[in-house]
Amino acid sequence: MRGHFANLVVYSGIIATFFSVLTRRDRREQLRFGGLVWLSMVGGVLLLAYLMLPFPR
Amino acid sequence: MTETRPVAGRAVVDVSLGRTALALVAGWLVPGAGHAILGRVRRGALFFLLIMGSFGIGLAEEGRLALYSPREGFLTGLQLVANLGVGPADLFARMSVYGEAAYALPDPSDASHRPRIEKFRERQRSAVSAYGTAYLWSAGLMNLLLLMDVWDIAKRRKD
Repeated sequence: MRGHFANLVVYSGIIATFFSVLTRRDRREQLRFGGLVWLSMVGGVLLLAYLMLPFPR
Repeated sequence: MTETRPVAGRAVVDVSLGRTALALVAGWLVPGAGHAILGRVRRGALFFLLIMGSFGIGLAEEGRLALYSPREGFLTGLQLVANLGVGPADLFARMSVYGEAAYALPDPSDASHRPRIEKFRERQRSAVSAYGTAYLWSAGLMNLLLLMDVWDIAKRRKD
């Protein structure tokens, strides 16, 4: 798994699943919370990357 | 001693101190085992898969297995704690990567200093090493959180 995006998706998936199962008991709550965490992580990184577009190295 | 008492319409079993200690030790040795001992077998199995999955990806992506250095004692100490959180799997990984159970940088005058630091830098040169390190540290930190969760379950602060 060498791609940056693949790593982002998988890492966010692991973290989102872990915290949803750790902090929520109801299956629907877990799905909702996990989905929100996953979307926040992936979406947040993509947004940050977009904002950094005008500032290349 | 195990005592049963009704809470919110259902029987809740108090966990003895010995069983709590066993769950904590087992949970550190094998991620998720603490939950299984306290009767949360499916949850424990899922935690095992998540943590060992993260650990495995971290190793495959050449994540750093931290070595304690007195020059940066605080930071390298924290890194070591994050690595050690995953339990004996970290030891096996170190044996495989460094060829021995290495946890600290040896003295520069020591003959083993150079090969160990070279191995450490070699892994850092990989393009995905930073991701690998994040996976490794996350695996350890998630397992430490699980131990706190085991404690809360045993003390009935949580279901």
